[in-house]
Amino acid sequence: MSTLKENRLWRIITSPSRMMLTVAGVVILVSVVRQFTGISDITSPGAAGATIRFTIPLLMAGLGGLWAERSGVINIGLEGMMILGTWFGAWFGYLYGPWVGIFAGAVGGALAGLLHAILTVRVGIDQAVSGLAINLLGAGTARFLSGVFFIGAGGDVNVSPQVKSISSFTVPGLSPFLTSLGQKHILVISDVAGVVAGFITSINWASLVMILALPLTSWILWKTRFGLRMRFCGENPSAAESLGVNVYRTRYIALAVSGALAGLGGAYISVVVTGNYLEGQTAGRGYIGLAAVIFGNWQPAGVLAGAALFGLTDALRVRQSTSVHALLLVVIVLAAVYSLTKLRKKDWKGFGINLGIAVFVLAYYMINKVVPDEFVTFFPNLTTILVLAFLSQKLRPPAMAGAPYRKGEES
Amino acid sequence: MNLAIELKGIEKNYPGVVANHDVDIQIHKGDIHAIIGENGAGKSTLMKILYGMVKPDSGSITINGELASIKSPQDSIGLGIGMVHQHFMLADNATVLENIVLGSEPIKAKVVVDYAAARAKIEKIISTYGLDIHVDDLVSDLGVGERQRVEIAKVLFRGAEILILDEPTAVLVPQEVDDLFKNLKELTQNGLTIIFISHKLDEVMTIADNITVMRHGTTVAEVKPANTNKKQLAEYMIGGELPSPRLASTKPREEKVLEVKDATAKDRTGREILHGINLDIHAGEILGLAGVEGNGQSELIELIMGLVKPDSGSVVTVGLDTKEADLRKIRDEGVGYIPQDRQRDGLLMAAPLWENRILGHQETAPMSNGMWINKGAAKSDSERIIKEFDVRTPSNDVLANALSGGNQQKFIVGREMSGDPKMIIAAQPTRGVDVGAQAIIWDHLIEARLKGTGVLLVSADLDELFKLSDRIAVIFRGSIVDYLDPRTTTPEQLGLAMTGEKIA
Repeated sequence: MSTLKENRLWRIITSPSRMMLTVAGVVILVSVVRQFTGISDITSPGAAGATIRFTIPLLMAGLGGLWAERSGVINIGLEGMMILGTWFGAWFGYLYGPWVGIFAGAVGGALAGLLHAILTVRVGIDQAVSGLAINLLGAGTARFLSGVFFIGAGGDVNVSPQVKSISSFTVPGLSPFLTSLGQKHILVISDVAGVVAGFITSINWASLVMILALPLTSWILWKTRFGLRMRFCGENPSAAESLGVNVYRTRYIALAVSGALAGLGGAYISVVVTGNYLEGQTAGRGYIGLAAVIFGNWQPAGVLAGAALFGLTDALRVRQSTSVHALLLVVIVLAAVYSLTKLRKKDWKGFGINLGIAVFVLAYYMINKVVPDEFVTFFPNLTTILVLAFLSQKLRPPAMAGAPYRKGEES
Repeated sequence: MNLAIELKGIEKNYPGVVANHDVDIQIHKGDIHAIIGENGAGKSTLMKILYGMVKPDSGSITINGELASIKSPQDSIGLGIGMVHQHFMLADNATVLENIVLGSEPIKAKVVVDYAAARAKIEKIISTYGLDIHVDDLVSDLGVGERQRVEIAKVLFRGAEILILDEPTAVLVPQEVDDLFKNLKELTQNGLTIIFISHKLDEVMTIADNITVMRHGTTVAEVKPANTNKKQLAEYMIGGELPSPRLASTKPREEKVLEVKDATAKDRTGREILHGINLDIHAGEILGLAGVEGNGQSELIELIMGLVKPDSGSVVTVGLDTKEADLRKIRDEGVGYIPQDRQRDGLLMAAPLWENRILGHQETAPMSNGMWINKGAAKSDSERIIKEFDVRTPSNDVLANALSGGNQQKFIVGREMSGDPKMIIAAQPTRGVDVGAQAIIWDHLIEARLKGTGVLLVSADLDELFKLSDRIAVIFRGSIVDYLDPRTTTPEQLGLAMTGEKIA
């Protein structure tokens, strides 16, 4: 009975009208904070553009995680697949041009995805163990290949030669107009204008192509036969098998796609963001992608929300660390408002916790002038832990993700 | 004669075991044909043969007058045979619609599922057969009865004309059984044929047009309900006379093993789920707890075991106030617990029986010796249980999941009764077990009562409640609404009380 209620609640929270209201509220709040603190970079076109660049790798890794888990296999190996993506992207991008590089990154990731499939689906190795192995293998392979190929080609054992860049586009007319409007510091209007300007100014064609993976994933999952069968492989593989679904094959395909998406995310970093391969440049983004899957409740749009949130904090940290400090004000107000809604429901504990958070963050805000970088880096991990701790009742992971499955055995 | 299925001389051997031999059954079109027998009588093997999951060694299967060769479930689906499994094959986190179409999706534009066409077809099936399900509901929101109807719809969606239902009522409460029977009648009126596998004689007598009885892998009798009675069927099933339990009238003792006073309890979301419960059990008494499932029985058990602390009032279990004593202490003081879901809560399925014997007694002698497990004692006591409770297993080294459901249950009952506990909580102790196992479990509960154990018998089986209980308490929406005397109450009155009606 209780699950029934929770589902309804979840549907209401995630309903479009409610989402719009929430988004509008947050926009106004951020705008006020920007006005109050005078830190205009929060909503500048530059910050918006940087957010996109930081979000896309996380989004691709997250979608990769989504494909794997929806088919019933946990993919901790996303990080390793991303690393292979960065390497293949840079090397083939250097040889044959950036677009070939991006394609090669996807292939590199997909190969690692297939390896994960062979190990977990066919051999039956524990999914976490196989994923960890792929992470080690990805890093090691990239290092080895760098030594073999880069040194003679003007790179080094941990750096590739430069890749030609992919062109960008700017929406003419609208972009300069919005950019100048954004500089006028009018409450809300300038903020929205600034952010939108960032979304339509100097946008890399590769960014646009990658974002397409999101609607495509949604469409496949909920409209196509393959998507339906894949979801059942994650929810109840025995049931799927009993109705003639080939669970093994479905998981092979899903994991190859999962690896390809992670590889694309990696290639995006090396080809588009930095223009060459740098060892360690994924910096754990594969894991953050998994965090985005949990944050997003295994829904494609949710994964985007998680990736964007983590990408935003990352981008602000890199540009101007006072921005993150200013955003604390947003957290304070949100926690305070949330505590009031708890008060109205006479949920004293929830009221206390949220008020406590608000007061604590406010105290921190007053005492310090900046948020340490280390904390910002840690932010996605913290958020995921909080989501798991407080919202786990409402999360709906695929029921059999992570569970070993053998054909013909009932689970 | 219009036969849907004719089985002749079916035989199936497994290494060392004859699962089926000389099986002859004729099933008429439009009939509800019941196949009954004890656990292990060969019903399941026979149905697996018919559904193509197992190949027979010899014998012939004729479907609608034509000799059929069934090699896989796909073959049998092609012949219009559908199986409604006992354990539902559904995904919780998906809608009814998605669960039904999976594997047989109508397709448009090569890859896209034509959900509109599927919906129309399913809606038609639902309205034709009065199935009462909603295609857009999430399966996780559905009750057991609805899930079963989804399974039936799934089979009909694939065009089945012969439905095999494997113990369909094992998981249902009485009202849901009535609904199911209504649905089944509806199906046969539309020309479908139903094979109904069961060991519940009441139900078979009510619903079946024809009954085939199986024993030791073969068919021993074919009768019509009008020409037989339950006693005769039971004798066919076990091949002899049934011992009938009778409560020796003893006087319950003065001392109480359970005293619940005005106890209320909340669930995790803070909703009050038990209201002002007053419940006493004396030593040497069986108190039946009747009620439709989900009216607070599980919460009451948790309250008594000390897993949930009362918000107000008090709970004293075997002399210990549960506010102070924890579960471990209460169990060690002498409380046996036969859980409702034996495979989930009662056994480690992948562990040998002797390890399962230790379960719940891992900190007390003789199963433990300080920090060490006493393997020898566990093994010898497992042997005792196997003997006393007639658990059919080659040895105590066999994994629990190799035993049939009835034998698993007998082992659990044996374990929970060892060491002569002061109180036993028995939740649905004979659900899903055959009559033989049922008789043994009943005998031991009655014996425990004579020895002075207090028993809380939570059951949905009215027959069981009437046969065993000294008193029957009725729980409804988290309150004890009535106490009844089984000697002066009729089943109809009890049924009424379970729905919250006061008996005048």
